[in-house]
Amino acid sequence: MTFFEGIQQFFTALFKFMPKFLPGVGNTLLLSVLSILLGTVIGLFAVMLRLSKKKPLVMISNFYITIIRGTPLLLQLYFIFFGLPDMGIMIDRFPSAVLGLAIHSGAYISEIFRGSIESIDYGQREAAKALGMTNFQAMKRIILPQAFKRSVPALGNQFIISIKDSSLASVITITETILLARQFAAATFNVFPIYTLAGAYYLLITLGLSKVLNKVELRLKVNER
Amino acid sequence: MIQIRNLHKYFGELEVLKGVDVNIEEGEVVCIIGASGSGKSTLLRCLNFLETKDKGEIYVDGKLIEKKCRQDVIDLRKKVGMVFQRFNLFPHMTVIQNVMEGPITVRKMPKEEAQELAMELLAKVGLEDKKDQYPAMLSGGQQQRVAIARTLAMQPKVVLFDEPTSALDPELVGEVLTVMKELAKEGMTMAVVTHEMGFAKEVSDRVIFLHEGVITEEGTPEDIFEHPKNERLQGFLSKILV
Repeated sequence: MTFFEGIQQFFTALFKFMPKFLPGVGNTLLLSVLSILLGTVIGLFAVMLRLSKKKPLVMISNFYITIIRGTPLLLQLYFIFFGLPDMGIMIDRFPSAVLGLAIHSGAYISEIFRGSIESIDYGQREAAKALGMTNFQAMKRIILPQAFKRSVPALGNQFIISIKDSSLASVITITETILLARQFAAATFNVFPIYTLAGAYYLLITLGLSKVLNKVELRLKVNER
Repeated sequence: MIQIRNLHKYFGELEVLKGVDVNIEEGEVVCIIGASGSGKSTLLRCLNFLETKDKGEIYVDGKLIEKKCRQDVIDLRKKVGMVFQRFNLFPHMTVIQNVMEGPITVRKMPKEEAQELAMELLAKVGLEDKKDQYPAMLSGGQQQRVAIARTLAMQPKVVLFDEPTSALDPELVGEVLTVMKELAKEGMTMAVVTHEMGFAKEVSDRVIFLHEGVITEEGTPEDIFEHPKNERLQGFLSKILV
C-alpha cells in the first residue's frame, strides 16, 4: 500500500465512521452533563459540611474527600457497578456511571469551592453579619456569589477532566465514545482513523465547553474596573 | 440605651480589654480615642458581637445579650449598625443593591419600598447619580458614604463607626465626616472610634480615652482636649496634635 492509498483509505474510513459515532458522543455528552451537575451539587454540599465547624460533619466531609481523591476512578466505578450488588444494592448501568463520576468530581469540586470561599475577604462576612444576616443568608447572598466567580477557572478545568473521565464508563459497558471506538476498531481494524475520530469528538466537546466558560467568566466580570 | 459592664476580652494570652464600663445614651455621640492597640476597635466589635467577649455584660435597651442566644444577637445587630474602616461593600452588587440588601434580606421589606428608602439615603449621602455603579468604580470616600447609607437602611438606633476615615486619602476624609456630622445633628446615637480629633472635638458629646484596655479618662471634649488630667492622655494628645 502506497502512502497515497493510505491517505485515501484514512479519509474514506473517517467519513464512513463519522455518523456512526453520534450515539456514543450523545452518551458522552449526557454522561458528562449529568455528572458535572450532580458533582457540583455534591461538591457544594461537601464544602458546606466542611465549613460548618461542627466536628462530626467536618469529619464526614474529610473522609469523603480523602477516600475519593485517594483511590482511582476506575476502581470506584467497578465498586459501584460490580461491588455494591454484593451488598444487595443494585444500580442500573447508566445511573451507576453518572453516580460514580459525580461522586468522584464532587470531591475535587468541593475543594475548589473551599479555596474560593476561603479567599473571600473576611470583612464581607462581617459586613453581612453586621447587617443582621444569619450565617445562611450571608453565605447565600454575599459569600457564594463572589466565591463562585473566583472558582470558574478551576471549575472549568474540573469539568473538562470530567468529560474525559466519562470515557472510563466504557468499562461498565456504557456505549459512549470510547466503547464504540474499541468496538469499531476490533471489527474493522481501521484503528488509526477510528481513534482519530474519537479524539476529535472529545476535542470538539471540550473546546465547546471552554467557549461557554469564557463567556460565563466575561459576564461575571461586569463589576470589575 | 447601651450599657457595657466589666467587659474583658482576650486574644490568646493577651488581655485586650481589662474591664471596661461604658454607657451610651440615646442621641449621644461618643468618640473613643486612644493609641493603636489600646482596644478601641475591639470594644466596638464586641458591642455587636463580631468579637466574642470573654467576661462582662452587654445590655441593649435594658436587655442582657448573650452570644448563645443567636436570635438576640441578630436582633441586636438590626438595631446597632456598623461602618467599617475598609468599607466592606459587597463588590458583586451595585451601589443601590448594596443599600437595599439589608432591608430586603434581613427586614423582608418589599422591593419597591426598599428601593425608595435606598434612593432617599443615597440622596442624603449625595450619591444618587452613582446608584447603578459597582463599588470598584467609586473613590474611597464615595464607597464609605455608600457604606453609611447601607447601614442606615437598616434603620438602626445606634451606629458604630470603626475608624471610618482611616483608610481614606486625606482629601476624601472631609466628605465622610460631613455626612457623619449631618447624622449627629439629626440626633443619631453614634459611637465613633476615630483618630480625627477635630471631629471628636466638634461633634461628640463625650470622649472616652482608652489606654491598654482600660478607660483612663472620660469626659466632655473640652475636659479631654483642653484640660487632660491623665499623663497618658496628655502624652497621647501631644503626639497627635502637633
